[in-house]
Amino acid sequence: MVRDQGAFKLHNPWPRIGWGTAAAIIVISFVLGFPVLGRYRPNDPPLDLWSAICRGLGITSDTRPAAESRPALRTPTQIAWTSSTLDQIAAGDTQHGGFIGMNCSACHGQGGVSPSSLIPTIAGMDPAAIYKQLDDYRSGKRLWGVMGAMAKALSAQDSADVAAYFAAQPGGLPTLSGNRVPESGRSLRQADPARRLVFAGDPQRGVPPCSACHGPGGFKLGAPALQGQHSAYIERQLGAFAQGMRQNDIFGQMRAIAKQLTADEMQVLAAYYGTRASAPEPGGVASR
Amino acid sequence: MQNSSRLALYHYWVAFAAFLPAMVLGAWQMLMRSPLPAPLDDSNAYYTSVTLHGTAMAYVVTTFFAMGFGYAVTATSLRRPVRGVTAAWIGFVICLIGTVMAAVIVLSGRATVLYTFYPPLLGSAWYYFGVLLLVGGSMIWVALMIYNMAAWKRDNPGQPVPLPMFAITATALLWAWAASGVILELLGVVLPRVLGLTTQIDAALGRTLFSVTLHAIVYFWLMPAYIAFYTLVPQAAGGRLYSDTMGRLTFIMFLVFSLPVGMHHLFADPEHGAGVKFLQSFLTFFVALPTLLTVFSICASLEIAGRARGGRGLLGWIAALPWKEPMVLAVALSLVMLGFGGFGGLINMSYAMNSMIHNTSWVTAHFHLIFGGAVVIMYFAIAYEMWPRITGKPLRSKALARWQLWLWFAGMMIATIPWHLTGLMGQPRRVAIFDYNDPFVARMGPLVIISVIGGMILLVSAILLIVILVRSQLGEKHLATPLRYALAVNPPRYVPASLNGFAMWNAILVVLMVVAYGYPIGQFFILKSSVSAYEVTRQSIGAGVR
Repeated sequence: MVRDQGAFKLHNPWPRIGWGTAAAIIVISFVLGFPVLGRYRPNDPPLDLWSAICRGLGITSDTRPAAESRPALRTPTQIAWTSSTLDQIAAGDTQHGGFIGMNCSACHGQGGVSPSSLIPTIAGMDPAAIYKQLDDYRSGKRLWGVMGAMAKALSAQDSADVAAYFAAQPGGLPTLSGNRVPESGRSLRQADPARRLVFAGDPQRGVPPCSACHGPGGFKLGAPALQGQHSAYIERQLGAFAQGMRQNDIFGQMRAIAKQLTADEMQVLAAYYGTRASAPEPGGVASR
Repeated sequence: MQNSSRLALYHYWVAFAAFLPAMVLGAWQMLMRSPLPAPLDDSNAYYTSVTLHGTAMAYVVTTFFAMGFGYAVTATSLRRPVRGVTAAWIGFVICLIGTVMAAVIVLSGRATVLYTFYPPLLGSAWYYFGVLLLVGGSMIWVALMIYNMAAWKRDNPGQPVPLPMFAITATALLWAWAASGVILELLGVVLPRVLGLTTQIDAALGRTLFSVTLHAIVYFWLMPAYIAFYTLVPQAAGGRLYSDTMGRLTFIMFLVFSLPVGMHHLFADPEHGAGVKFLQSFLTFFVALPTLLTVFSICASLEIAGRARGGRGLLGWIAALPWKEPMVLAVALSLVMLGFGGFGGLINMSYAMNSMIHNTSWVTAHFHLIFGGAVVIMYFAIAYEMWPRITGKPLRSKALARWQLWLWFAGMMIATIPWHLTGLMGQPRRVAIFDYNDPFVARMGPLVIISVIGGMILLVSAILLIVILVRSQLGEKHLATPLRYALAVNPPRYVPASLNGFAMWNAILVVLMVVAYGYPIGQFFILKSSVSAYEVTRQSIGAGVR
């Protein structure tokens, strides 16, 4: 019964079985894995033999790591609050500005106090805010047909001059001082939703208080005062920010905030700021 | 013989000493990732715990258990003392030092890299050195197993090597092959970066090398259970092994087919082509063969035993089996879990189906069911069988042992079945904290809670195991009957050389490995790198460690 004494002699049964099975498995798996199944792709026509083998080995025309997609750079505005910009605004010539401003009075009213509810009052508005909007209209960052055409006719120096002129006009918006206004009812427990949003915001939704930038009591460069502005105009701008139709807020903060507000809240906020012009609270706002 | 016994016993002690704390960590992890409140609610601690749990269970418990089992099998199946006992003790000490090193570093929070330590995750060099010592120390055991088998063959020319010895040598060879991947990864990829010799780390090469280890190591864990299936179960059931040749073929097939298949862990990786992945997926299917052979063989052996004990009819032999024997109960419970886990495994290894469950809890549930369930329950049964024979102190109560096995089975099923389901629902693995308020995650909440209950039952069962072993250890000494292995129905008088040694099978394995891994590893050197290497800038170790 001496059989199969050599494990490597192929005339013995077990070496034949072992090597034969291994060879069969290798051949079958190669044929299936490379030329047969490797050809077919889910949504594209089958590959030729050579491409299928290369694909099986992981060699394709594109073996580099996927390039990161680079979205086009979009900036909300071209204005940057550099010292040269601020110097230019501060050096605005009111006399020349008054001359240019005659073009504006047809819509924005005599001396910048607008008679129309959808056109903002610009008398007394911070010159930097006016300058920035004119620049945004000129560069197409804020879109409105009439204003775009008007702004394109102005140079940067003209913008600074006209901004200085309207900022100096009386009877419009209050000057924002940045001084804190001592006022009761600034808490989150305030019942009136408009006052709550204006003075306390809504931290749970990431909404800061409006007054922090737009007053009363707060001031941020480039943000206009809102007290005395037309309610309908404010409401329309909040809607435009919320829907992304207006996109010239530098850090997207107005778009972020307006998206969080309900239509009712926009209305009461607009009404709150709009009516404050006619009936300012006693001792509330530092008036010019 | 006395020295070999003490050798086995010390290995078992270390294995079970690491097992219990790792169980506690596992139970805490289940609690942590569930909607229930967990003590020490900290996600960093979670990952540290996962690292420790994985390292302990996957490297320490299994390696020490397999080594101890190997020495015991060598001494009892060859019926002569283990050759090279001094080397064995040196290996034991090296492994122990490695274990302590790794555990201390992980506990100090300096190697939270999970037990797979996939780059570019990097930990302290001492952790990797600890793992290297543990794996390297076990190579002494590998050498001793081969040496003992070869020495016995030289002394008994023409005689068939006893099946237990043949199988444990297959296990040792399998472990040597498997460990080559992780050793190469540590020495060639990870440590050079950790020690600051390079600035880049090729994560893809590291993962590929680790995949050589990652599947075969599972079969290394599995082998002691299969050896028990073939050589201890028929004896405990009071019957005979259905076929000795089938046993040899099974262990040969495990050796050959569990290695060139690891890439089914990398189906979602970009560094390998679809053809190479398919090839290894195809090869993986052959791993099911030895398992199916074994299920057939064991059922046949149990039927022989049942009929010998007077069982009649189509299924009457099942009732006639000695169910009071822990070994017989364990094999039945193990086969049930092997069935469920095996079907899950078929999904994991199928190239297309894998994408449904890749990196989900399904995978974690799968390996807990198949390793923690089907395999570890056999470790328990082996301990109940061998512990009394080594110490001469029998178990105080076989009923308590049966309770422990039933609890383990119930706990594992309750823990892993819902765990599989959450995987199908898309729950990712290796995540510490889930936001159960999220509607997508919320529907997994109840299933995860059921899973936690299973985990707690497992913890109770693990404590019970230690209680049983300690009670036996503290008990009185009786004269123990020596361990006897099952005889085959037709005991082999002559075995062909190919089934009495591993030379040819190792040669076939070399060919298969070159086919399966030659190009996937070679491409990193031919094409420089298929994906760009990570620049790892994070300095993760202190200057003192260097």
